[in-house]
Amino acid sequence: MSIIEAKDITYEYPDGTEALKNVDFQVEKGKIVALLGPNGAGKSTLFLHFNGILRPTSGEINVEGQTIDYSKDGLMQVRQKVGIVFQNPDDQLFAPTVVEDVAFGPLNMGLPPEEVEKRVADALEKVGMNGFEKKPPHHLSGGQKKRVAIAGILAMDPQIMVLDEPTSGLDPKGASQILKLLYKLNEEGMSIIISTHDVDLVPLYADKIYIISNGEIIKEGTPHHVFEDVATIRNANLRLPRIAHLMEILKKEDKLAFSEKYPLTIGEARKSLVEFIENPENSE
Amino acid sequence: MFENTLDNYAHSNNLRDANVNFKVLFAIMTLIVSLISTSPVIPLIITILMSYLIIFPAKIPWKFYLKFLSIPFIFGFLTFVYMSFFFGTGPDIFNSGIFNLSVTVDGFNTGLLVFARMMGGFTCMAFLALTTPMTELFSVLESFKIPKIIIELAMMMYRYIFLFIDEGINMYHAQQTRLGYHNLRSSYKSMGMLASNLFIRTWIKGEQAYISMESRGYNGSLYIHNYQNSIETKNLVLLLCFEALLVLGVYLSGNFSVF
Repeated sequence: MSIIEAKDITYEYPDGTEALKNVDFQVEKGKIVALLGPNGAGKSTLFLHFNGILRPTSGEINVEGQTIDYSKDGLMQVRQKVGIVFQNPDDQLFAPTVVEDVAFGPLNMGLPPEEVEKRVADALEKVGMNGFEKKPPHHLSGGQKKRVAIAGILAMDPQIMVLDEPTSGLDPKGASQILKLLYKLNEEGMSIIISTHDVDLVPLYADKIYIISNGEIIKEGTPHHVFEDVATIRNANLRLPRIAHLMEILKKEDKLAFSEKYPLTIGEARKSLVEFIENPENSE
Repeated sequence: MFENTLDNYAHSNNLRDANVNFKVLFAIMTLIVSLISTSPVIPLIITILMSYLIIFPAKIPWKFYLKFLSIPFIFGFLTFVYMSFFFGTGPDIFNSGIFNLSVTVDGFNTGLLVFARMMGGFTCMAFLALTTPMTELFSVLESFKIPKIIIELAMMMYRYIFLFIDEGINMYHAQQTRLGYHNLRSSYKSMGMLASNLFIRTWIKGEQAYISMESRGYNGSLYIHNYQNSIETKNLVLLLCFEALLVLGVYLSGNFSVF
């Protein structure tokens, strides 16, 4: 069952330029979907449609099978179900302390104070930021701010979490901590949508990839399906994952084909290399 | 970037975990005593006492504290000089002989009193500012029944001040990199550009913050975390005794003056 679905949506800016053109986007419950695209392709614009911040000029958004109701109550409901973590945590963390920021969402939902406290504690525990409750955000590192921003959304207990470039601006360790956290959340049943241009990381976790360019979805499918279409990837100002690129060069320049499909991750590459070395005649 | 600021010390000094209400009550009551005193004796004692509390128990580096204190000190000293010369009537202590400018007893005493009250009051506030994070003061303000809208505005201003300092410093460095401040003329120009740009950034940031708040169902109110814990009776009694002692001091020192 698809938990969120954009049906043929088009979004025009007031001056008439089309930011999104006939976009179809669908996320199955419990999956991780990645939206890949160059800067300015419309990733953030599309995300702002998912919780009704922006309203499509034409087309509709369905959340759990229901079309978004743009009345005040309807928006409140959809924003509880769909949580957006913004790219720059400083845009999101506005409260003077961590605990006040994380409590913001649940409090707006009208939950009783004890429940709010419990949710705040749980959310901070999940992202590993317990003990930082009283800190002001400007005393935190980039990765810590990001985790607090995620906790702020988790505390609202959404069904779907939408993250705009969750690893941008983080050091490798910070980035991998965030991805591990997202993995864990996904295992607990959360559906996750991520926008990124980090092609090396995407195949590690994404069940499905959409590629957006100039406001249009130009490719969708599993990581292997999408990265096979090298021409489309490059036209969209993206590139293959490093590993796949290496395999492509080995195949084209050195006539060494290890496997039918380009391996996308280190794990896959290792497997096909080992297979190739053990019985070279079997592989292609 | 913020290692040396008031805010940082407020979050990491040795008295940070002392009861917030106690600190606020202590600072405000002592401030009032300092203000009602009619002789400079008690305010100066308060100045010394508060400075002691700030430097020793709270462990604020004395260099930083003295630098911090120098601003009101210079200001207070100028006031003192000005008032000695231009205020009051009565017998002269010192006559400069220029334009008949002279220091009168009355003027000198008023000047000294204002100076002492200023230093006393300032050190009380400095004690509060250096030992208590703003974030905890908000909850105290709430318990004082300050309108919520004012506290919420203060909370957001507090948060965004640091973002804009950061942004401002970054822009300043970027301008310096391209020689934006190599002479007076370009400095004026660059500073103007920085200010106007910062204004536009504030606008954009405000819009983005609003979108992200809306995403979390903003309905016009913020959560103010409650740090309240009541003051122990023993401490309250000690505080009251201390203040009573100061008030007694005020009474006894009466109109004591140097001349």
